[in-house]
Amino acid sequence: MTFRRLADRPWRDRATTDAIAWIPPEADTPSRWLTVPEWHARIGAWQQRLLETPNTSGSWRLFEPDPIEFSAALIAIWERGDRVVLPADNQPKTLSALDEAGVALGPTEPGRKSGRTGSPPDHPPQWHSRPLPAIAVSLYTSGSSGEPQRLDKRFDQLDAELATQASLWPLSGRLVVSQVSHQHIYGLLFSILRPLCENSPFSARPCRYPETLYTWLQHCQATGKRMILVSAPPALSRLPEALDWKPVSAALATIYSSGAPLSKDASDRVHERLGHSVHEVYGSSETGGIAWRVQQQAPDWTALPGVEVSHDEDHRLWLRSRHLETPDQWQRQADLIARTQQGFELLGRADRIVKIGGKRISLTAMDRALSALPGVERVQTLTLQRRDLRLAAIVQLSPNDIPHDHRQHRDTVKRLRRELAAHFETPVLPRYWRFVAPWPTNSQGKLSAEIRQRLFLDLEDRRAPRWLGEQLHENGWRITLEVPEHCAYVDGHFDGQPVLPGIALVHWAMQQARRLFTLNGEFESLERLRFPQPLLPGDRFEMSLDHRRSDGTESLRLEGESQRGKHVTGRVALIHRQARES
Amino acid sequence: MTTTALEQELKEMIIETLELEDVTPEDIDPNEPLFVEGLGLDSIDALELGLALQKRYGITLESEAESSRQHFANLKSLAALVESRRQQ
Repeated sequence: MTFRRLADRPWRDRATTDAIAWIPPEADTPSRWLTVPEWHARIGAWQQRLLETPNTSGSWRLFEPDPIEFSAALIAIWERGDRVVLPADNQPKTLSALDEAGVALGPTEPGRKSGRTGSPPDHPPQWHSRPLPAIAVSLYTSGSSGEPQRLDKRFDQLDAELATQASLWPLSGRLVVSQVSHQHIYGLLFSILRPLCENSPFSARPCRYPETLYTWLQHCQATGKRMILVSAPPALSRLPEALDWKPVSAALATIYSSGAPLSKDASDRVHERLGHSVHEVYGSSETGGIAWRVQQQAPDWTALPGVEVSHDEDHRLWLRSRHLETPDQWQRQADLIARTQQGFELLGRADRIVKIGGKRISLTAMDRALSALPGVERVQTLTLQRRDLRLAAIVQLSPNDIPHDHRQHRDTVKRLRRELAAHFETPVLPRYWRFVAPWPTNSQGKLSAEIRQRLFLDLEDRRAPRWLGEQLHENGWRITLEVPEHCAYVDGHFDGQPVLPGIALVHWAMQQARRLFTLNGEFESLERLRFPQPLLPGDRFEMSLDHRRSDGTESLRLEGESQRGKHVTGRVALIHRQARES
Repeated sequence: MTTTALEQELKEMIIETLELEDVTPEDIDPNEPLFVEGLGLDSIDALELGLALQKRYGITLESEAESSRQHFANLKSLAALVESRRQQ
């Protein structure tokens, strides 16, 4: 096993025969290796840039998507004895929140475009005797309060973690290809720092798409290289079956996944297609790596060497680990776990932190950001497990802002998403929106799980209306509904103007009535039924239901009304089954 | 504005595959960006869309994936991609 600690500055004396990085083929340019002298010239270039940039704070904010430039800048900052601050993304709000944290470097630096165009010119590196900084990197993650939380990592913490991984799964000089961002701890450790400490080359470009991975594997296959893939669930759960992976899979040595658990199905599919099992690593920015598993062997997680795992009565995870800031102390975490025979299983989190597409997001922060927007009175965001885990938002708007038709609904969603985009990355923005007024609650005044489910029922059932709340009204109920755009009852979807057939309204009225009243009888006939004008997909309307029972007759009066006027009025006569049989 | 049958088919595929619950085919402007602004699709959707194209049209995106993602810029470019690959 080749491993040298970061504290020993393995970058200085890499054998000049080593390759630092593999520059993949692009258009007409064949692939090549980046040599140690070339890389050192990049480190020197960044050292020059730092010298020329006024900064008395001793810390630098680095956002740099190019792995070679990133690694060179990182080392240049460390060699100066300064600290690196890594923003998780380059959203304007993220960066402005970190304005205090040192001077910006990378494409977001004032006056710079992106990529190598703005990178400093080559320069020989200077190796001084300055000590390394006490804090190697500071990362930002969503805290449970919703505020970004700063996490400082010392060199000994990073080195403990890097040494553990090197002993468990040595890279052995193989090519490390990454599908994740090195601005986060997992990408930083696995795709940049591990290769540096284990004398293995990394790919000079991120490998975002499966087709790129396929081509690179072909290339490795043809040139006798073996690849280690640093990946995550969003990419691994979508390996196209149309690509014939068999001939190239021998070039693959190991697959890592982290960021969120990979489903068993997805794990099995990767195994089947690529012929290798996925090594999943469980951890977080705060805790570093905690455990690992290979689902084809066992579903349980095994603690990493040097990490002790326990839980309390509430199933809260307790950790003692060399990757933590205080390695000797047991610390309680927000994750919930249960012991199993061979290790433990994850039960979720005790706070409102979720992961969408591998990106960690605090629902509290999302609620707060949404609540601050004009017209928004109250918010609850939640996750919905559809094809992927996605965010949904229940938003109470001021009466003037409530959308009444499809166009207004789209405009409202677009406006809110646009405003949120300044704070969050696109995949974590809510995908499903329910605009309510007033706030829907059960009889105890709570927006209960049952109500949440009812609000999104139309996603499960294409025949259901979009339910947005209900209130007692005179002798009955007034229910707020929307016609879902893709409702199964909406006809002629693609020719001319699609409308909701009137009879669907009667059907919806009966369904809601069964839930709200105790109906003794069954449908007998429709009386004085009128459909003054049709409802269109996306229309919001109020359905008033009045249940009457007298002298052995039972009926349901219904009335549907939107801003455009009346859509249905009439009566459903109900009959008792016994009465009919007699 | 004329919408070809293929564009219409792709619009429906996008809405169905990505479960865009409140989007109708008419909402998708063939010249507007599909990602981030415009329709607001994201990186997870891009992967999903790649899979759907393979399932539906048997299109394996060029291995030079970066350039083939340019075809995802808007509906027009996506339709042009499907059109050209179908003829091969």
